[in-house]
Amino acid sequence: MEKSNGKTGAVSRRTFLKGVTGAGLTGAAAALTGCKSTGKPAGGTGWTPQQYNVPENWPVQVRGRVPIDPENPSIVRDDKKCILCGQCIEACNKVQSVQGYYELPIKDDITCVNCGQCSLWCPTAAISERDDVDKVITALKDKNLHVIVQTAPATRVAVGEEFGLPPGSIIEGKMVAALKKMGFHGVFDTNFTADLTIMEEGTELVTRVKNALAGGHGGGEGGHHAPMALPQFTSCSPGWVKFCEYFYPDLLEHMSTCKSPQQMLGALAKTYYAKKKGIDPAKIVSVSIMPCTAKKFEAARPEMNSAGIKNGNAKMIDVDYALTTRELAKMMKIFRIDLTTLKDQHYDNIMGEGTGAAVIFGTTGGVMEAAIRSGYFLLTGQNPPELLFNLEPVRGLQGVKKASLNVPGVGELRVAISHGLGNARVLLDQLREDKKNHREPRFHFIEFMSCPGGCIGGGGQPRTALPPSDAVRQARLDSLYTMDAKMYKKRLSHENKEVQQIYTEFLGKPNSELAHQLLHTKYTDRGSQLTAKKKA
Amino acid sequence: MSKAVLVDVTKCYGCGACTVACKLWNGKEYDDAKKPTVGEKAQLTDINWTVVSKHKVTDASGKTVWRFAKKQCLHCEEPACASSCLVGALRKTEEGPVVYYPDLCVGCRYCMIACPFGIPKYEWDKSFPEVSKCQMCSSRLAKNEAPACVSVCPNGVMKFGDSEQILKEARATIASDKRYIKHIYGEKEAGGTAWMYISDQPFEKLGFKTAVKNQSLPEYTWKIINKIPAALVVWGGILTGVYMITNRRNAVKSSKNNENKGGKS
Repeated sequence: MEKSNGKTGAVSRRTFLKGVTGAGLTGAAAALTGCKSTGKPAGGTGWTPQQYNVPENWPVQVRGRVPIDPENPSIVRDDKKCILCGQCIEACNKVQSVQGYYELPIKDDITCVNCGQCSLWCPTAAISERDDVDKVITALKDKNLHVIVQTAPATRVAVGEEFGLPPGSIIEGKMVAALKKMGFHGVFDTNFTADLTIMEEGTELVTRVKNALAGGHGGGEGGHHAPMALPQFTSCSPGWVKFCEYFYPDLLEHMSTCKSPQQMLGALAKTYYAKKKGIDPAKIVSVSIMPCTAKKFEAARPEMNSAGIKNGNAKMIDVDYALTTRELAKMMKIFRIDLTTLKDQHYDNIMGEGTGAAVIFGTTGGVMEAAIRSGYFLLTGQNPPELLFNLEPVRGLQGVKKASLNVPGVGELRVAISHGLGNARVLLDQLREDKKNHREPRFHFIEFMSCPGGCIGGGGQPRTALPPSDAVRQARLDSLYTMDAKMYKKRLSHENKEVQQIYTEFLGKPNSELAHQLLHTKYTDRGSQLTAKKKA
Repeated sequence: MSKAVLVDVTKCYGCGACTVACKLWNGKEYDDAKKPTVGEKAQLTDINWTVVSKHKVTDASGKTVWRFAKKQCLHCEEPACASSCLVGALRKTEEGPVVYYPDLCVGCRYCMIACPFGIPKYEWDKSFPEVSKCQMCSSRLAKNEAPACVSVCPNGVMKFGDSEQILKEARATIASDKRYIKHIYGEKEAGGTAWMYISDQPFEKLGFKTAVKNQSLPEYTWKIINKIPAALVVWGGILTGVYMITNRRNAVKSSKNNENKGGKS
């Protein structure tokens, strides 16, 4: 046994043993006292919303949330922000009649019409649009690319809210100025293709009505090339279109074959515009600013590549990026542009003119009113009487609206309008019933919009009061009617000079073969992707 | 009265509300990139006490269907984790949950090896790690509330109640609807668990461990372990006998040697 070698700082055996014994005793004491109680079990340190803190499985007002496929092109969810309040289910189930309207088990699809109402209701913004802002900014920075943009009617009465302006503030000119400042090479108006839509869809309606008058049945036994069924449905709202494909595929023959204005402009940008300007279509990046999340889905639909097909490259899609109104506001802020301080500017020529008939596309009843104005002209060759410029029965926020008017030489034209998909079911179930019993169609033309209030209440619009309120919707739609009545020079789609020009220079006439190639589309029966409930 | 939960896989549409409820109630972090809670890559981890895994299953008619399976600790009737725990940090409670007490845990991780379902995880990222697994919201059960995940499900995928009643319901459901597979996962697996599953698709296609034996692991090991006291006594006896015999021999030998030496000197 050695003794400490005497070096300073060295530990003697005695000290070392003392230390070890002390530590051992302390440890043993701690272990023994610790073992007396088990301590707290793991977990349970957080919270759950009030409605879930009830004994057993009692019924509650709202429970859970909607399913969102991670691949969903329109909306994404950040679980970290989700508080399980159940508002998304309220929107999806009660307003849009999607969640809860299909049987379980599901098949191989998460049923979603991409309308984005859930993102509008979500109080923490856990649900929001799939953000494509970075992609657009990257495209804008690329000197080789020609980036163009279009703005939907409803954006110009809403984007100001993101800058502190009251709901319904009309800021069309400032929005155009902001887009030009951001470096877009062409700033176009979806109003232009809204007018074009009226020409195409109106002509289609006239064909269907005349076919019916000539003895063809409204029940869908029309010609082989174009569907002749009456009533004709509007097809501008991609959420509505997908809803019909899911739940009422048997009624798709009623859907107008017209693409939505967004897709029409996309197809024309890479054909007509490219040709006129001498730009290689492959270098055009087409961006749209929409009040809508379903527009992202629509732009990504595989058949939306007609400009690509025309240009011999099927991979080229018509609209490259669809941004929501909220994304536009975000983008302006990234560019440090204060919208409110800008001076008004005008849309660019070629695809920049729009009429009052087009701007009211952004509200429920607007497409109908615009179509009636020009439909009257298409049927009679005369401009409509004053009454048709303020068609009160089709305006306003009532869920289902009906109207009829006398058109000389045709007789009574009966129309209906619904907004919010829950309301659409009323008209659709009625039509199904009528068809089953071989009754004459009650209506000739029905306008369906996916979102409450129409596009002004779209899922991509600024989030305001919660839940989304009719006061805000009313303010926005009032502004659109003000623009129609007081600010736009023309109120009839067929009087749009640029629309007239595109027909003489490029398309020929409405519903021409080229128009069909570029401006019309086909629909997909999605009935097999779910088991729709018989009566929900 | 022991509580149980019945999960009907056919009713789940994969919203993942249950996983959010679990995170909220238990204050667990999210790591969507590495540890997703919903989808094809969803895995139970130290921070994911429950996940909803997505499975693309080819059904009997050759069509692909999506099924979502909610996974969490099954809370065995005779938990192997608890029986393997040296310090009693895992305990089966009367209400049904198998509860973990971190203050007692010494971090040996025997429970992780013992569990036939691979449920307990370890907080490898932490300086003072604990074992981590679903507690079946034992503190909520104590207040007669359902587990958080069960409470928030919009489709009533999960039913919470007394285990006998739950089992009765499970049997009635699979008997009355021919789409269901005639098997209640968890009724017999590992000796029976508090969480049970019914499904229209085979359980092995939904990521369930179907090779788990019906006999509980503690029961299995008990067959050997209960013989240890007897074995110790017998073995001790034998060794004592051997010791005594050799001792005796040595004594005899040395006395003989002494005699011999003594004789010579």
